[in-house]
Amino acid sequence: MKKTICVIILQAIHYILKAEQLLKKEDIHHDIILVPRQISSDCGMAIELSDDDVDRVKGLLDAARLEIVGIYQMDNDQTFHALE
Amino acid sequence: MTTTPSIYVDNSATSFPKPSQVNEAVSSIIRSFSLSPGRSGHRFALKASRLIFTAREALADLFNCPDSSQIIFTSNVTEALNLVIFGLFPDTLQPGDHVITSPLEHNSVMRPLRYLEKTAQISISTLPLSKHGEVEISALPGLLRENTRLIIINHISNVTGAVTSLAEIGRQKGKALFMVDAAQSAGVFPIDVEEMQIDFLGFTGHKALFGPTGIGGFYLREGIDLRLLKMGGTGSNSETEEQPYFLPDRYEAGTPNTLGIGGLAAGLDFIKSTGLETIRAHEQRLCHRFHEGLALIDEITVFGPDRGRERAAVISLRMAGKSESDVAQRLDRDFGIMVRAGLHCSPAAHHALGTFPEGTVRFSFGFFNTEEEVDTCLLALKQICKQ
Repeated sequence: MKKTICVIILQAIHYILKAEQLLKKEDIHHDIILVPRQISSDCGMAIELSDDDVDRVKGLLDAARLEIVGIYQMDNDQTFHALE
Repeated sequence: MTTTPSIYVDNSATSFPKPSQVNEAVSSIIRSFSLSPGRSGHRFALKASRLIFTAREALADLFNCPDSSQIIFTSNVTEALNLVIFGLFPDTLQPGDHVITSPLEHNSVMRPLRYLEKTAQISISTLPLSKHGEVEISALPGLLRENTRLIIINHISNVTGAVTSLAEIGRQKGKALFMVDAAQSAGVFPIDVEEMQIDFLGFTGHKALFGPTGIGGFYLREGIDLRLLKMGGTGSNSETEEQPYFLPDRYEAGTPNTLGIGGLAAGLDFIKSTGLETIRAHEQRLCHRFHEGLALIDEITVFGPDRGRERAAVISLRMAGKSESDVAQRLDRDFGIMVRAGLHCSPAAHHALGTFPEGTVRFSFGFFNTEEEVDTCLLALKQICKQ
């Protein structure tokens, strides 16, 4: 079964790279992508990861005091809806 | 015609040579990818962002900053110190407030302070100097007032190499904010912003951190807001016309000096692999050898800490009967030795040392100088004395 994709938006590229450092350390599969235009017109980057890892990653980001701007889940029709 | 070999002992101005990995990094970066980070989102932009992130993390590690987002890049330490001093004004540092500083400050601190003294009635007190040319920290409690908002201290004097104990000042700062000019010390002397209770730390990339010119920055303690003196593109929050509130973007408008930051990252890597203690021990060995040799030349007077006292590898001297510019020019022309003569952009320090307005001849040794070079400098000075 194909995994559901989630996208986490942080404040700036610095925080995306800080998060990437944490995810690599914890061996959590992820990708750094452009913020999807359906989510925001911001020209920044975002973290794409599997739905299964979202809660764990949220915990890691909270512990590192990285402010989460938004978490979105991709629906079957390729649109996104906000998880929070 | 014979060519005189060059001996560079002006490392307080800028370090030379740079570690080979710095040269290679700068060359490789400019050839390999575009230098605009955090904006476009393609692989080159991401690579530039990662490079900047790496440098920021390395600086946070070097200074024991709790979070690397509190490291802000500027074009040099002068800009960093200016952004903080003028950024504190007028909300935190208000007209009529009091600032304590040392007599060994560079003009990058004294000029902004004198400007605020003149235009905003900021009053300035200066700590005294001991007979060794060191800042007398014991006088600090007596100078603190109810309205002392800021203490600014130059960690290492760029004129004499005198070291001021930041930990001791941090312990006695009271309610004042503590700002440090680490232009000469970052990369050679240990700095711990937490243990030393430093609120702002200005650093430059091109001296003992071994980066190219055009890059510097400051550490800003969490919770302190500076008035914005630059606003513009950050690659974040692009949908709004307001400057982001989060660090480091809040204080970093415009495309940064990615190439300089990349070189600085390589310099920081060199320091980490070589070891701060190893670098300092080598420089101090050279300085000690030079100082001992100078003591045997009657015509030479050395300013600042005596032999055996702690100092950075900077020695300011005068030669009886010779002008400072004449000595520096002969060293360069006849012996290939590059030093700096004059006031070193620190008239306050020269006033305190009694060497104003002529100044001194300054030798500043770096990690790549050798004992043989020190001996050549001593020999050259002896010969100039005889001429």
